[in-house]
Amino acid sequence: MADILLMLFGLSLLFASITNMLTSIVRILVIQGILLFVLTILKTNEMNMWEFAFVALETIVFKAVLIPWFIVDTINKNGIKREVEPSVSNFFSLGSMTAIFAFAFFIALWSGKSSPNVYPLHFGVAFAAILKGLFIIIANKKLITHLMGYLIMENGIFMLSLAIGSEMPHIVSLGVSLDILLSILIAVLFINKISNSFEDVDSDELSILKD
Amino acid sequence: MLYLYIWIIPLLFSAIAWLKKSSRLNTAIIFSHSSLCLSASVALLLPGMGLATKLGIDSLSLWFLLITSILYFAVGLYSLQHKSNLTDRQSSIYAIAMMAFVASMGGAIVSKDLGLIWVFVETTTLASAMLISFEHHKQSLEAAWKYLFICSIGIALAFVGVLLLIIAMPESPSLVFDKIMQMKGSINPFWLKVSFVFMLIGFGTKVGLAPLHFWLPDAHSEAPAPVSALLSGALLNTALLPLIRMQGIMQANSMGHLANELFLLFGFASMFIAAVFIQKVKNYKRLLAYSSIENMGIILIAFGLGELAGKAGMIHAMGHSMIKAAFFLTSGSVYSIFGKKDYNLCSGLLSRCPIIGWLWLIAFMMIVGMPPSPLFVSEFNIVFALVGSGNLALMMLFVILLASIAYGLGKASLAITMGKSDQRSKLPISEYLAPTILLLSAMILPWLLIVYLKF
Repeated sequence: MADILLMLFGLSLLFASITNMLTSIVRILVIQGILLFVLTILKTNEMNMWEFAFVALETIVFKAVLIPWFIVDTINKNGIKREVEPSVSNFFSLGSMTAIFAFAFFIALWSGKSSPNVYPLHFGVAFAAILKGLFIIIANKKLITHLMGYLIMENGIFMLSLAIGSEMPHIVSLGVSLDILLSILIAVLFINKISNSFEDVDSDELSILKD
Repeated sequence: MLYLYIWIIPLLFSAIAWLKKSSRLNTAIIFSHSSLCLSASVALLLPGMGLATKLGIDSLSLWFLLITSILYFAVGLYSLQHKSNLTDRQSSIYAIAMMAFVASMGGAIVSKDLGLIWVFVETTTLASAMLISFEHHKQSLEAAWKYLFICSIGIALAFVGVLLLIIAMPESPSLVFDKIMQMKGSINPFWLKVSFVFMLIGFGTKVGLAPLHFWLPDAHSEAPAPVSALLSGALLNTALLPLIRMQGIMQANSMGHLANELFLLFGFASMFIAAVFIQKVKNYKRLLAYSSIENMGIILIAFGLGELAGKAGMIHAMGHSMIKAAFFLTSGSVYSIFGKKDYNLCSGLLSRCPIIGWLWLIAFMMIVGMPPSPLFVSEFNIVFALVGSGNLALMMLFVILLASIAYGLGKASLAITMGKSDQRSKLPISEYLAPTILLLSAMILPWLLIVYLKF
């Protein structure tokens, strides 16, 4: 069961490389949130009651509902164009995603031999998600896409923390606070305020301060 | 319990600030909070009372706690009479964010649990992003966005480092440093190395090490002067502390040489980047920001060399924080006199406002390491250690970089202070007092602590 979920998660990363619409990335985020929720539920017996309730509630509320809703809301309010407008082609992005997978599984399998508590599939997918998030941030210019890249990276981190959750339950709840940081990042002021002062919400616009 | 002590007063004061919303009251609140912080850390220092051991605060934490509280006190004093054009509501938000910022730095410094340190460092990001974006114009929004986003990525990578550290540990892992130390020998070396690299990149982003420093000049130059002083003097050290502790863990697991080499690499890279950009930058607050990058690099080099140079690193951290904070506070006064941030457009500070002019020059002399600045001793020790370990080429590089940075800073400082000016400006006394206190304590405090309290 868990393996199927992990593979679906991996597939969603591949899909994120070929899509051109912002809304479909949001959909990917929702799907990832639900997958992570189910993964957390599968871990029920490894955590105590309260921590489990907190983490499960957080994944479904923040990852699957609240943050995607915030993002859609921001896109609508600010009239951001719906294309992703990456600075690299889809082909390149898919190719590099494959390379990222290969690298992540290589690390996971190679190091998994030395430490028994690393499950290669889980670790590999999580690591690939972290790298994919960084890749999205680097390869895009839109600030809203940067945020989505950050979210994907954070889903990877959450997954990594689930992998070791049995040994140290409250590290998972710590990882949760990353989510809260992100929602503040979006909600508090930035996109709205920045789009009031800058014409297009694009990292090329953020170039007043430079040397 | 300890964290309750740190947070209870800010929470109480925040409630008052939010209910009353008066800008006079808010400056008074910040000042009284800063005086309380200072007296608390002095009480921790007194050896007779043994408070520090009772609360489980070690000398490394105490050293950085003292730096932070002295800086905060000076900032509180400076803000007492500093003219600001904030509305009452804004000044309440400012006061609350400021107290939350300082309290989370305090928490990160005294904590010995890596997980908690991580949480507190994350909170400092949020609180200080509020402070940076305070002037609400295009530049400060841009600076705050870059700061928040780059540091969030950094902090996320540091979290990956923490997770990998847990993977590296044998059964019943723990994130408390003392317990990690007890596990030495049984930690998986491969994962420990990877985890150290992740943490170095993650927390290093926050320290402002090159090439992860892009947020730093923007944030420091756009924030209000008191905030820049705290950012550069206190926040950078706070993020440095977990790295120093991790270096200790690497050494205990006989991988110290890897940690040291990485420290030296990042240290020299930071100095190099600073040396290049200082020649080019025209905005004097950005200049000071680049000098912070340089000094964090020097501190990292000192810890990378270890032993006596490690002690020099501590002295350098203290000296740099005080002098740079004094420099930033003075730059706030310079900005309020000239209203410009380009140093070519400002001249004649010495004749226009002699005290600020002299403070500016003295701060410059001390930051480039002229005696009686403590930076002289620490840099001397580093050169000594480099020669002692036979790294003559590195020693040459270090000295050349220092010299070119001193040239760049000197050009700007002299351009501002020299020249004729017919106008006269008067500033409130607290704006003179705060930098003076900082410069004096930079000269005296390190020796006092080392000689009398045996750090």
